[in-house]
Order: sequence, then structure tokens, then C-alpha cells
Amino acid sequence: MARWLAAVRRVAGMPDYAAYLEHRRHHHPGEALPTEREYYAEYVAARYGDSPTRCC
Amino acid sequence: MTMQSLAWILVSVIGAVAWGVLALHRGESINAAWLVLAAVGTYLVGYRFYSRFLAAKVLGIDPTRATPAERLSNGRDFVPTTRGVLFGHHFAAIAGAGPLVGPVLAAQFGYLPGMLWIVFGVVLGGAVQDFVILFASMRRDGKSLGQMAKEEVGPVTGLAAMIAILAIMIILLAVLALVVVNALRDSPWGMFTIACTVPIALLMGFWMKVWRPGRTMEATAVGIVLLMASLVGGRFVAEHASLGPMFTMGGTTIAWLIIAYGFVASVLPVWMLLCPRDYLSTFMKVGTIVLLAVGILVVLPPIKLPALTQFIDGTGPVFAGKLFPFAFITIACGAISGFHALVASGTTPKMLRREGDAPLIGYGGMLTESFVAVMALCAAAVLDPGVYFAINAPLATLGGSLDAAAETIRGWGFAVTPAQMEALAASVGESTLLARTGGAPSLAVGMAQIFAGAFGAHLTALWYHFAIMFEALFILTTVDTGTRVGRFMFQELAGHVWEPMGRTSWYPSTVLASGAVVAGWGWFLLQGVQDPLGGINTLWPLFGISNQLLAAVALAVATTVLIRSGKARYAWVTLLPLAWLLVVTLTAGWQKIFAADPRLGFLSHAAATAAQVAAGTLEASRGARLIFNDRLNVAVAALFMTVVVLVVISSVRVWLGILQGRTPATTREAPYVATTYAA
Repeated sequence: MARWLAAVRRVAGMPDYAAYLEHRRHHHPGEALPTEREYYAEYVAARYGDSPTRCC
Repeated sequence: MTMQSLAWILVSVIGAVAWGVLALHRGESINAAWLVLAAVGTYLVGYRFYSRFLAAKVLGIDPTRATPAERLSNGRDFVPTTRGVLFGHHFAAIAGAGPLVGPVLAAQFGYLPGMLWIVFGVVLGGAVQDFVILFASMRRDGKSLGQMAKEEVGPVTGLAAMIAILAIMIILLAVLALVVVNALRDSPWGMFTIACTVPIALLMGFWMKVWRPGRTMEATAVGIVLLMASLVGGRFVAEHASLGPMFTMGGTTIAWLIIAYGFVASVLPVWMLLCPRDYLSTFMKVGTIVLLAVGILVVLPPIKLPALTQFIDGTGPVFAGKLFPFAFITIACGAISGFHALVASGTTPKMLRREGDAPLIGYGGMLTESFVAVMALCAAAVLDPGVYFAINAPLATLGGSLDAAAETIRGWGFAVTPAQMEALAASVGESTLLARTGGAPSLAVGMAQIFAGAFGAHLTALWYHFAIMFEALFILTTVDTGTRVGRFMFQELAGHVWEPMGRTSWYPSTVLASGAVVAGWGWFLLQGVQDPLGGINTLWPLFGISNQLLAAVALAVATTVLIRSGKARYAWVTLLPLAWLLVVTLTAGWQKIFAADPRLGFLSHAAATAAQVAAGTLEASRGARLIFNDRLNVAVAALFMTVVVLVVISSVRVWLGILQGRTPATTREAPYVATTYAA
């Protein structure tokens, strides 16, 4: 179920905090981590930037 | 011979037989199954053979090479993603209103021209473009089309590509907004449902950002439930004595509301309005497209539109112009769409887990969008031709009233009665369906018929408004995200002129740039709403031309990348579609400017308007505005054509330089790093 939800999130371009934490723990262990609230704000602001995410 | 080759021979034979049936059929009606079989058979053969040839011989896909997602993995935009999930992500990004509207409009020529162009255009053109650009961006750490144009061709081309992208964005947003206006005009049910999406999105935005951070699925589920409630409640509002008239609005009012919405959405923080609407519309879009596919496969409706109509001679009521070049302009998305090059060089290349996944995502993703276009064509073609023309021809052409419209359409050789149109409008809960040009309403009527056939007829009105809601929802999502992207581009371009304008975090710059972009598409939108011929007649061809010209820019960049990588002998894979697009778009652009028919040519329309003013049959101030708009349209078409000719000339110079040994054949690919993933 969790895997399915993660797949659906990725299809829709939604952030995946759990996967992000996993990535940070794996690649940058020991560093300070953003809270879910901070991560969400950063992710959303970066996604809708200067290149189109949706077509006509 | 192996079982596999036998299976491929079988697929090819089925596809060929289906095409044979389509080509040779003469008679009352043909089943939609033949269109589906011909399309799917061709896609499978194209995917199995042509995309493999492109991957192995032309591009040299290397399964041992690490992708940017693996090398630069950051858990945010560079994320290695399994191919099935990424396919869904990419498809959700590229599929939009384009493949749904274009084929419906082009159905005025009959179903066959659109069908041929959608299916063969995608296999040899559109899917190739998407795949090659995706590949090129993947090999360059996910660089954008503009950056690749600058680095591989030259700085002037980079700038030209950027101006072209901004200009196409303006026209695209205007024409899509016009489709929504024509669908919601005098439709309190539709208007109420769409108006509800704004408070629903705000609620979701605060839910995900403030109350329960990151709970996107939860908020989206609540949003979808509320959306369905507003869809059902729309009927009550429409029939209510005082609420009904409140939500019954004319075209100009709706246009101004959309303009205001676009501006606000571009200035507000994204989490508040834009992002939640994006989630909502993505789920609705993917869900409805799947539902439509199921509906068509379950019902397998008969196609009532003829294979060809007399309007291939250029006298068509929906838009002016002959089969060549205008069928190929009207259907851009679904066959080839330059806009895809922006997404294929945006988020997707940063998520490819393996190089070997690129054919499925790039080529296969576009084939799927093409199938959406085929379904839209089916949905339009299941309507009685008389009904199709009553919905799609402009009111001025039809003659104002239901009786006059029926008479006009009978004159074209298609039967429709006023009673039939009244009954149809009543069955979908609308006061009238006459002259709702833009594709959305006729698609919604067709979809409602298919859904009613598949899931029960008593819900026809609900299905119609569901289809309208789903189209308007994701078109408005394109309008708000597009305005925002346009705003960033405008800021970047303006930053070259005056540095402070380039600061995207500087509030006055944000407001000014948003205002400029909204004013740009808003002007064309209002022009379209007030156009006596319905606006689509003018704006859709301009959009088609601009989208195809952007595809030409992308293919020129793709060809340059191939030649720079020493693959000149295979450059025909992008050169052939490029040549075809140049012929089609430059012919169409030329005709839109210079054709003698005032319905087709902007200059002759301006002259005809001036003559009307001189004769006193047209108010001078209105005439002046129409003439100004004609000249503006001439300028836009000329700008598109100039930009693309410049890009092609500078690309050809680079190609010749490399082929003659004057320029070194170097490319900006990121260096090879071996993948650590198991094979």
C-alpha cells in the first residue's frame, strides 16, 4: 500500500518526504534534516519555477 | 521462425487490415474499433522497430552509463524513478487539452485526414522529437531546450528559442482560455463547478502547507470529493431561481474573470492556489482519459462522420483553409507538439533511472498521447455530422437561430433538426449547444454519449458537465502554470534590458512581469471572444503554427546534436519531420497573412473591414479595433516565421561547418560514468 501511494505521488509530481529522508540518510548521513513542513515548502517552490511542468 | 516474429507479423497484418478497412470503406457508418485497431497496430510496430532503431543505431543508448538521476541524485528533482512510474509522470505532464481539442476541430475535414496525420505523424515525427530531445537532455544533466539551443547551435539561436517559447505561450494561453470561455458561456452549471475549484484549491493549499504539512494525498482526496459535490450541486444552482442567473455569464465577463485569475495565480505563492489545482487536475485528467478509453472499448461506437467532407476545399465553417496545410496545423498535439520538447528537457530527464528506459518514456509516452488524440477524434466522430457542425460552426455562419442553423447545415448536406438540437441541449442540462466553437462542448457531448452507453443513459447531463469540468479544470491549470512560467521568462528576458527586472524575488518585478504576460494573452483572448467568427477560427491556427514552429526549433536542435555526435548519416530521422513541418507551417503562415479570402488571410480581412467601414455598414471604432487585431496577428505570424527561419539557417551553418570539417564535431555531453545499478 505504501509503495503504491509513493508511486501515485511521484506520477502526480507530489513531494515524497519519506523518500527524501531515506536519500539524505544514505548520501549525507549525520547532517541536519528539514522538517516535513520545510521540505514541502522548498519542494513546491522549486517545482513550479521557470520551466513548464505541464503541456498544452 | 520464432513465436515472437510470428506475433509481430500478426500485429502488422491486423494494423494493415484495419487501415485497409478505413481507406476502402464507403457507406453509412464504420465502427470506432477499426480506428483503434489501426492506431494501436501502427504504434506497436513503430515502438518495436523504429524506436529500437533510434535507440540502438541513431542515439546509441548505453545501458552501462549512469543517468543524471543516479549521478546527481538529490531526493528532490534528480530522483531515479522506476520506468512504469516515470511513464505515468511523463504522460501526466505532456497530456493536456491540445490532443483533445485539435482532432475535434479538424474533424470538419472528415475523420480520415486527422486519423492519418495523428498516427503516422506521431510515429515518424512527434515521438521521434520527444525521444531525441529527452535523450539529449539526459546526456546533458537535464538541460532545457533553450540552454541546449544556446550551447549546441549558438547564442542567437538560444535567444530566438526563448522568444519563440514566450510567444507560443502567450498564444497558447489565449486560445485555451477561449476554449473554456466558449464552454462556460451561458452555462450556470459549468460556471458554478469551475468557480468552486478556486475555494477547493485554497482549502487544499492551506491543508497541505499549514494544517497538515505534506499530506498531499489526503488533501487531494478531500478536494476530489468536494469537486464531485460541486459538480452534482451545479445542477441545483443552474435550476435555482436566483442563483442560476448569478452564474449565467456572457463571454466577455468570463474572459475577464479568467484574466484576473491568471494574474492572481501568478503573483500568489504557488502552494496556495497553483500547486493544489495542479494535483487536482492531474488526477482528474489521468482518471478521465482512462475512463474514456474504457468507454470507447466497451461501447465500440459507430463513427457517423464521413471519411472526408467537402470542406477539404477550404470552405469549412469551423476554421478556414484547405486540407493542406491546415489539417496539419489544427492537429499539433497528438501528432507532433513542440511544447513537449520543453517537458522532455525539464523534469523527466532528471528522473530516468536507466538510459534504457528512455525509449519507453520519450517515444512510448508520446504514442500514448497520440492515442488520446485518436479517442478525441472518435468522440467527435460518433456525433451526427449535422450535430457536430451545429455545435462547432460560429453563430454568424449558422445564421443566428436554431431554424436558420438547421437550414444552413442542410445546405451543406447534413441532416439536423431544431427539435433534435433542443432535445440534445436539454439532455445535457444546457439551454443551447449552438455555436459552442472550441472543441470542448462537442467532445463533452461525444464523451457523454460514450459514457452513457457504457455506464447508463440516465446520467447523460452529469457526464456532459463532468467532461466540461475536467477539460476546463486542466486548461485553467495550464493557464495558471503557463502564466507563471511566462512571467519567469519575461523577467529573464527583461533582465537583459534592465537588471532589476531579472530578480524573480523582487515583488515589483513579479507584479509587472505577471501583468505583462497576462495582458499579452488577455488581449488575444478578448479579441477572440469578440470576434464575430468565434475567435477559434483565428487563434487556433496561430497556436498550431506556433506549436509546430517550436517543434521545428526542437528538431533543428536535435539534428545539430546528432551531427555534433558524429551521427550525420542518421540525421534524416529528425531532418525529414523538420522539412515537413517547415513546409506545412511556412505555407500556413503565408496563407494566414496573404490569402485573398478574408476568412483566411489577415490582410484581406483588414481590407474587407476597412471597406465595410467606408461603406458605413460597420461602426468606425469597432472597425479600427478589428483592423488593429488583424495587423497584430500578421505581426505574430511573421514573428514566428522569422524566428524559425533564423534558427534553421543558423543550424544549417553549424551542420555544414561540421560536415566540411571547418567546425570541430564536439558536443556538450556530460562525461561517461558507469552505472552502479545491476543490469
